Amino acid sequence: MTSIVPVLELRGVRAGYGPIDVLHGVDLEVHAGQVYALLGPNGAGKSTTLAVASAQIVPSAGSLLLFGRDVTGVSVDALARAGVCVIPEGRGIFPNLSVAENLRMATFTGVSFADVQEKAFAQFPRLGERRRQIAGTLSGGEQQMLAMARALATNPAVLLIDELSMGLAPIIVEELYEHVGRVAREGLSILIVEQFVHEILGVADVAAIMLHGRIVQVGRPASIADELASAYLAGGAGRGAGTNGTSKVADR
Amino acid sequence: MSDVTATGSDALSSARLAQFQAEVEKLRVTGGTANPERTGAKGGVALMAIGVALAVIGLLLGLTSDNGNDNTDAITLSVTGTGLGIVGSALWLRNSLTRYFRFWLIRLVYEQREQTDRIVGGN
Repeated sequence: MTSIVPVLELRGVRAGYGPIDVLHGVDLEVHAGQVYALLGPNGAGKSTTLAVASAQIVPSAGSLLLFGRDVTGVSVDALARAGVCVIPEGRGIFPNLSVAENLRMATFTGVSFADVQEKAFAQFPRLGERRRQIAGTLSGGEQQMLAMARALATNPAVLLIDELSMGLAPIIVEELYEHVGRVAREGLSILIVEQFVHEILGVADVAAIMLHGRIVQVGRPASIADELASAYLAGGAGRGAGTNGTSKVADR
Repeated sequence: MSDVTATGSDALSSARLAQFQAEVEKLRVTGGTANPERTGAKGGVALMAIGVALAVIGLLLGLTSDNGNDNTDAITLSVTGTGLGIVGSALWLRNSLTRYFRFWLIRLVYEQREQTDRIVGGN
């Protein structure tokens, strides 16, 4: 299901850290109920893109728009309360707190702790078995489940996921992406960045390749998968890339 | 996915989208800058320079005048300049040190996590 106006849009975004620009004019649109996969090698600017989308970084040029409204410069907490939720790279859980205590962090939206736990343990029964366990002692996959459960408990409208598969076994990654697919079918808009593309292309509606701070190709996941290797090897100028349902983005 | 489920999901997501859109409309966008600390530091330096200049001008005016009223004005100017200089210094110091302290805090958190991992690994 797509809406005419994108739920989340980055338009001409340039951003970086101090004097170093990482993004050099990024345009992307995430429509309602859509899973948008942003792919690229390490250092391409994917995490920075998510940081701009979640208002953690204010772009030096360009805009962040939600439902067509320019919200560039909005505070991070206001955006989080509105319904934009981030699952950061490395999970972002509190390692010294228990599973239950980590889930309690999701109650800032006004949802009761009982409801948060019920929802989380229904989605991830393994967490229910370990509710008193210190989060830092969970396996990587369980920590990622905890991060996802905490995020989903806030009832977000837009979910931003950074490197879901990092450091996890393939079987765990497959399980996690099943959850991503399930929440996507419920209508959640998802922007997900990944280095390892195999699983994400199975759930994505749109895929884009980012290289050196620019989106160089956008298209259907199947087409992007065919072009991925050549896009990486071509160094981001779109050379050698085909046109099987993909669009090359003009080099800026 | 059954039709009922699909309809239920569509209704749920539409309601949530409508709620989200309403929340977005209510957002207060104050418009931050890309690098507020650098702007603040530059502003602090500018304020310091203006403050010092005003203080020096006031001092010179006071020294070169015998008129009581002029001396009063010169003192006011110098005090104002000194105040601006102090505020500018504080602004510059705050914005210069913020980044340093942020990296220090990040490093502290990182080292704590490494220690936790080592302890857990040892057990």
